[in-house]
Amino acid sequence: MASISLSNVHKFYPNGYAAVRDVSLDIKDGEFMILLGPSGCGKSTTLRMIAGLETISKGDLHIGGARMNDIDPADRDVAIVFQNYALYPHMTVIDNLSFGLRLRGVGRAVIDQRVANIADMLGIGELLSRKPAQLSGGQRQRVALGRALVREPKAFLLDEPLSNLDAKLRSAMRTELIKLHRTLGTTIVHVTHDQVEAMTMGERICIMKDGVIVQVGAPMEVYRNPVNTFVAGFLASPPMNLLRSRLSAQSLSLGDTVLALPPALGQAFAAHAEREVIAGMRPEDFHLKADAAASTAPVKVHAVTTEVLGPEVILVATVSGEQGAEIHIRCPRDFRAKPGEIVIFHYDVSQLQLFDPETTYALKRPVQI
Amino acid sequence: MKRIAARVLPHIILCAFSLLILMPLLWILRVSFTDRLTAYKIPPEIGTVGLMNYVEIFARYPFTGWFLNSLIIALGATAIALPLATALAYAFARFNTGGTFLRLGVLASQMLPPIILVLPLFGMFLFAGLMQSHVGLIIAHLTISLPFLSWMLVSFFEGDVARLEEAARVDGATRWQAFRYIAVPVAAPGILAAGLLGFILSWNEFLFALVLSGPSSQTLPVGLAALETHAGVEIAPLAAATVVSLVPVFALLPFLRKHLIKGLSLGALK
Ligand SMILES: Nc1ncnc2c1ncn2[C@@H]1O[C@H](COP(=O)(O)OP(=O)(O)OP(=O)(O)O)[C@@H](O)[C@H]1O
Ligand SMILES: [Mg+2]
Repeated sequence: MASISLSNVHKFYPNGYAAVRDVSLDIKDGEFMILLGPSGCGKSTTLRMIAGLETISKGDLHIGGARMNDIDPADRDVAIVFQNYALYPHMTVIDNLSFGLRLRGVGRAVIDQRVANIADMLGIGELLSRKPAQLSGGQRQRVALGRALVREPKAFLLDEPLSNLDAKLRSAMRTELIKLHRTLGTTIVHVTHDQVEAMTMGERICIMKDGVIVQVGAPMEVYRNPVNTFVAGFLASPPMNLLRSRLSAQSLSLGDTVLALPPALGQAFAAHAEREVIAGMRPEDFHLKADAAASTAPVKVHAVTTEVLGPEVILVATVSGEQGAEIHIRCPRDFRAKPGEIVIFHYDVSQLQLFDPETTYALKRPVQI
Repeated sequence: MKRIAARVLPHIILCAFSLLILMPLLWILRVSFTDRLTAYKIPPEIGTVGLMNYVEIFARYPFTGWFLNSLIIALGATAIALPLATALAYAFARFNTGGTFLRLGVLASQMLPPIILVLPLFGMFLFAGLMQSHVGLIIAHLTISLPFLSWMLVSFFEGDVARLEEAARVDGATRWQAFRYIAVPVAAPGILAAGLLGFILSWNEFLFALVLSGPSSQTLPVGLAALETHAGVEIAPLAAATVVSLVPVFALLPFLRKHLIKGLSLGALK
């Protein structure tokens, strides 16, 4: 078990491309850290630098307090699970599992014991004498995980290990991994671009974009206080609605709707009054009934279409007087609206987030967790 | 209708092609069982059928010697070329050793007409006392098979195998262990196929063998050519000798096919 710390780490590929720039991240001993971001943002590159599969162009990497920049991957004592599993095709499952231990000269009896334990834990006992080609996707995933677990490394690096699984298996494995982390308590760095995985699995999320870290924090913290419109628009599905609007002393103009701000909020944003802002409104903060206690204000929208999901209905609509942007609103499961129908929602203004249209960063984060 | 045509047409073309290649072989097979007179009859006829030509090549010509020489030289050249080519291909694939320059250099040596190499080799072998020796011919054949095999093997070490080695490296393997326990076994079908091809290449090689071998090291292709000039063309024994010299190649082909296909489909693993 060990902490992992990246300080001002850069990665320039031989073709000159800067895949990771000035990344600093402290992952605590035993922490479950998520690396989240769109495709090509440098998540795998970061993970591979931690594992030693890519050289670090600039900056420092410490694992368990020791500098690792120039340490051979074999000696870093971390385990990695790849998206495509990378099981050794010419070896049986049992040989795949025991390969690392055999290289380290661990005794036969100990190997057998550990392999049996892991096989039992992951339910792959029946598969031990098969070759990877004879396994299903889910079984391969378990074997790949087992191969990492059996070595009892200092840290697990998981590079989208669940992305090749079907939805049901993926959610089962998600739970499995969370439980595993709870029993073992080993540091885990989990790369994903699935924001459900990010929200549900990690203790902290590190959101990356174009090779830099945008925000690091606990899932709910990042969810409630996104630092900029990128994070706001990336997390959750449907994500936060982002609408151009105008801020006045005590109100916000959204199309032809004027939202009165509660005094505290008006005060907080006073410095930005009389300017264009981007209003961030979560889909679940629109209610069908007014709630005096929750400081709601009416918003008139034109329904465009509804997505009936079962437990809830997502209404896609435009704000009256602001035909350009579509917003998503989470509605109760029996809600229905015809296209073009006008619906009045009551928006919980206390949840409002405002962003600077030029820098895209949050003006002020008024919402506490 | 169109679908049937689409299925039948390739078969017709392939059959015609196969026939084109097969006919001379069948002709030789027929001739090897007849005598010189019937050999040239048109339309072909069988005439007196017998194994006399096969007996003759062993009795009247040093066929056994040629065969053994070919075997020694082809096996020797392949045994040396294969590990070296494997290492070179691995270096190309994994470390881009020597860059594009060296890769193209190796390829360029394949594009030269072999005749260009014969004279310098002749000079060097004369100087080193390697003329007419098995060792000399093995070295000469290496100039062909080493570049060819390394080019062929590069693709087997690129792609997925590199990912598997990375997994092994993180698992605790040194570079050598990753090569030895992962890369080589995974690329084994390709390496085997390359070995078989190298053997066939050497087995069939004519030009170097003609110039650089002597009576004690003459190989099959050179011996067969000698039959042609002896007293006119000894067509019937020649056919028999050709058939026997083809036996090892045909014996190897099924393996070659199996392993080449297995090797080429390596990319399909997940
Ligand atoms: N060997 C390489 N040479 C040059 N550029 C590379 C190399 N490997 C990756 N890149 C580039 O670096 C960037 C980051 O790649 P990386 O694989 O880390 O992305 P990622 O966040 O893991 O994306 P994904 O979610 O698609 O896996 C990409 O733009 C990619 O094109
Ligand atoms: Mg990736």
